[in-house]
Parts: sequence; C-alpha cells; structure tokens
Amino acid sequence: MAVNVGNDQLKTDEMIINMGPQHPATHGVLRLLLTLDGEMVRNVEPVIGHLHRAQEWQGQNRTWFQYQALIDRVDYLSGMFTSWALARAAEHIEGIKISPRAEYLRVMVSEMNRITSHLLWLGTYLIDLGAMFGFPFYPFREREKLLDLLEAVAGQRMMFNYIRIGGVQCNPPLGWFDKLKRFTEEFPDRVDEYEAIVTENPIFLKRTKGIGRLSKSVAMDYGVTGPTLRASGVNLDLRRTKPYSVYDQLKFEVPVLEGDGDTWARYTCRIREMRESNKIIKQCIEKIPGGTTEEIRKLGDEANKDENLKLMAKKQNSGLRVKAGEGFAAVESPRGTLGCYIISNGSDKAYRFKWRNPSFSNLSVLPELLVGHPIADIMAIFGSIDVILPDVDR
Amino acid sequence: MFGLLARSIESLYQVTRGLKTVFQHSFRQPITKEYPDRMPDLPGAFRGRLSLTVNPNTGEHLCISCLQCERVCPDKCIQITSHKSPETNKPELIEFKIDHGLCMFCGLCTEVCPTTCIINTNDFEMADYTRESLVYDLKKLTLTQEESAFYFSKKELPLPKPKPAKPAAAAAPAAAKAEKPGQPAVKPADTAKEDKPKEGEGKE
Repeated sequence: MAVNVGNDQLKTDEMIINMGPQHPATHGVLRLLLTLDGEMVRNVEPVIGHLHRAQEWQGQNRTWFQYQALIDRVDYLSGMFTSWALARAAEHIEGIKISPRAEYLRVMVSEMNRITSHLLWLGTYLIDLGAMFGFPFYPFREREKLLDLLEAVAGQRMMFNYIRIGGVQCNPPLGWFDKLKRFTEEFPDRVDEYEAIVTENPIFLKRTKGIGRLSKSVAMDYGVTGPTLRASGVNLDLRRTKPYSVYDQLKFEVPVLEGDGDTWARYTCRIREMRESNKIIKQCIEKIPGGTTEEIRKLGDEANKDENLKLMAKKQNSGLRVKAGEGFAAVESPRGTLGCYIISNGSDKAYRFKWRNPSFSNLSVLPELLVGHPIADIMAIFGSIDVILPDVDR
Repeated sequence: MFGLLARSIESLYQVTRGLKTVFQHSFRQPITKEYPDRMPDLPGAFRGRLSLTVNPNTGEHLCISCLQCERVCPDKCIQITSHKSPETNKPELIEFKIDHGLCMFCGLCTEVCPTTCIINTNDFEMADYTRESLVYDLKKLTLTQEESAFYFSKKELPLPKPKPAKPAAAAAPAAAKAEKPGQPAVKPADTAKEDKPKEGEGKE
C-alpha cells in the first residue's frame, strides 16, 4: 500500500533509525535497523542475538535429565513442543515405543498449549494494532483456565517439564478430565465472541487487509513454516503431511487459506487453528485408552502392568542415558516446524544438539514483507508472523 | 455512491455487533482473582518453594543425606553438609542449604529423593530485600509436623514407614539423650532404606 507523496520536487534524504531492542512492541529484544524515506520503509535489517543463551551448548554440558527441565525455556509460550521434539528425537535413537495413553496425553497437553500460545498472540497482536479498549483480556480469560489445567498436571504454568524421554511424567489429577471437557464445550462460543468483536471490524480490516502480502514462492524460499505459511496457501502441517504420534487417528482439518497471504489471512488461519485444536482435545478425551484418572485409579496396580496404560517407558533418574547414535524429530509447534537433531555418544550427556526453530526462519522473511510499507504498518506485519525472540536466539 | 452507502451500513452493523458483545460482558460475573486478599487454590503438583519434610506421625527428620538432590540439581543451588555418625556409622545431616536465588524450580530434586523428604511446597511468596536472605538453612527449610502432614496428603505421597528399627531406635534415643542432651539431630539416621547407600561416595 504505497503512499504517493505526490510532489516530485520535495526531496528527502534517507534516514537510518533503530527500532528496538527495547521497543515494547517487538515482543522481546529484536532490533530492527530501518532505512526510512520519509514515512516509507526502504530497507530493513533485523539484528538478532540479544537473547542468546547458548541453549545448544548448555545441552551438551548438562545431563539428559537436567536438560529436559531447561528446554521449556527456549520457547516459553509453547514449552510442551520443545520438550516433545527433544523426547521424540531421543526416542528415535533409543527405538522406544511409547504407550498409547502417554501419546494421547502428549497430544492433549500440546494442543492445549497451542491454544494458549495462539490466545496470547491474539491479545498482544490487537495491542500492536492499537486496540487499547481492553480486548486483550478477552483471550486471556480463556488462557487462564487452560494454564490452570496445565499447572495442575505439570506443576507450573509455563515451564512444564512434563513430556519426558520415554513418556510423560504423571497422570492428571482427579477431576482434570471433567474440567477440560467443560472447557472444550464452551471454548467455541468464546472464539465466536472474539470474532464478533474483531474479524469484521472495519478498522481492523483497514489495518490488515492487503498488508504484508507474502506470496507462496517467497514463503517457501525462506523456509517459512506454520500458520504463516499456511496462510499463504501452502498445505504443510506435519500433523497431517507426516503424521506422528496419534494424529493419524484423529479427525481434524488443517486450515489453508487461498489468496494473497496477507496479515488478515494469517489472523484467520490462527483463529481456525484454535477451533481445530479444540476438536482434537475433545476427541482425545473420548479416545484416550484407560479413560479418566478416576478410572485409572480404580484399576490400581493393573494400570502399571498394562502396556497400553504405562506412562513411562524409561526410568527417570539422574543416571538417564541415551544409546549412542543420532536422531532427528520434528513436531508442528504453534509457530511452525520445530526440529531437534541429536548426536549421542552413549554417556549421560549428549554429544551435539541442533535445534531448528521456526521463529528464526519466519523472522528472516520480515524484510521482504516490510519494504514499501509505512512505519505504522511495521508492527501490524511483524506481529502477524508471531515470532518469539527467545526462540529466535535460543 | 451506492457502494459507499452499503459499505457504511455494513461497517456500522459490524461495529454494533462488536460493541454488543462488549456490552453484554458488563452483566457477567467478574472472573478476576483478588490475589492478595484471596489466595489462589493451587494444585498439589505445584512447584513452589523447596522444603524438607518430617515424618508426620513421629516428627523425625526424613533426610538421610544421600546427596542425590545435590548431584541432580542443574543450578547447583543445594549444599548439604553431613558426616558419618560415630555411633551408628551412617551419614548424618548437619546443615542443608538451598539458595532460592539460583533455584529454577524444576523439581528434579524432589523426583530423585528416595524418602520424599525434599518437596515443592505451594508457597510462592518469597520476595526479599537481599540475596543472602534467599539462602535458606536447615531450620528455615524444615516443615513442622502439621505442614508435612498437609503436603503428604495434598501430594498423595505414601507416608514414610514409622521407624523400621523400632526396638533399637526406642532404646537408642533414650541412651543418646542420657549421654548427650545437646544433640537432637542424631535421630534421623536410622531408616531401613539408607542401609544400601549409593550415597556412600558422598563428598563428606
């Protein structure tokens, strides 16, 4: 949406401005080196690394058992997925098979985590666009309920340490499944509420429609994944294209939007994904082997012996070791494909870790999107690709 | 002209729809948690401040100074001082320090503890004025009998066995008391479990 200043005699010099790293709207510590021509952005250079914590190196210097607790911190909004990628990669090396109950529990908590991540994005994105009328608290209301449930099962609200190498840590507490079921029943109505306020709002449409177009080919060239890619019309969702865990037994749609892949499409894609995640959780509650925690308690000792209901296939203690070998696993996180590559030499520490973080690739496409837009659109576009800076820098 | 009018009406409708939703919320029960006045109802699995439990029935300290928590801690925030008791020839706890300024509340120490002595309590209000005051010593860490009973039931932990070496233990404290009245911390050192010590290679 290029603005024509109209007066050719009016000459302006280009100006370089730093945006960040302490800018409140950059969701962390991103520094954007903007070359401006008046109001228009001529060039953008993201400067990253302010939050580098050497997560890979730390993994090589900590035992497996200790690193599992740390890895939630990489992407603090969706800790389940980083744990899951690590666990799956290590299980790939070990060749362990996870019991169906543990797999279902993993899918449930991860989809809950996906909803919380998207809800937080929705709230903060509206703030980025200047919606200061209190809308952010609408999604936070539902997020709070989910976080309480996650807290009850994992111990903390965001640093879960729940998915482990070989299974999951524990069964949910009593009454957990009922609460979750109640949530899944009321959640679609809540999404309707958000949509009533936001989706067709004329101001919102003006700010998002046709802004930050990302074409199919550019997105694929940069290795963009997740909802950002699907909004551009590419059907790539690991849950569907390369089904892992029990996703092949569940019925859900992958929202793929045809069209120009603008900011509004990315918004719509995430909203639809939340609804699909809700459906997945609903199915999991019905299909989970062994049923609710109450039913498991009734079984007593038999539950521990049954191969389908066993939660942990590997003993969790300080001497946790993984066989020598190398393994790779990827999961579909709320931001895109999250990959973990491990080389193990059989000791209690890994020899090498390599993470493929979706935010890093998604951020690299930012210059393509921003050039030619006025300053006011920077946050509208940057917010819509939903990067999280600890995930970029790790 | 007609298109503009149609768009205006459509926009007006959409804005009204949004405002109606917002308006309806005025009549709903507030869901805000009034935190300092009303404490949140935390689940048993919650990972808060670390503490050491005592046996809820007998009041004896459960720590057997096996040093497993010290070894597994990713932040090295636990420091245990123990020595071999000259009477029973078993490790005996002298001092237990946790630097909560370093702790990341991962809960690994609670998982490896063989006697469920170290636990995560539901307490999360630990703000203080200095870093030194975040280092908790044995006295500050140890819970009372009632608190231990509360957490044992809340976390659904199996209750510790009430002193397996009962006849010996019943005689020993009496004798110990007679000899050295100034040492109440001697008692914890006899439970059946600690006889097979992996903890033999402790630093002390």
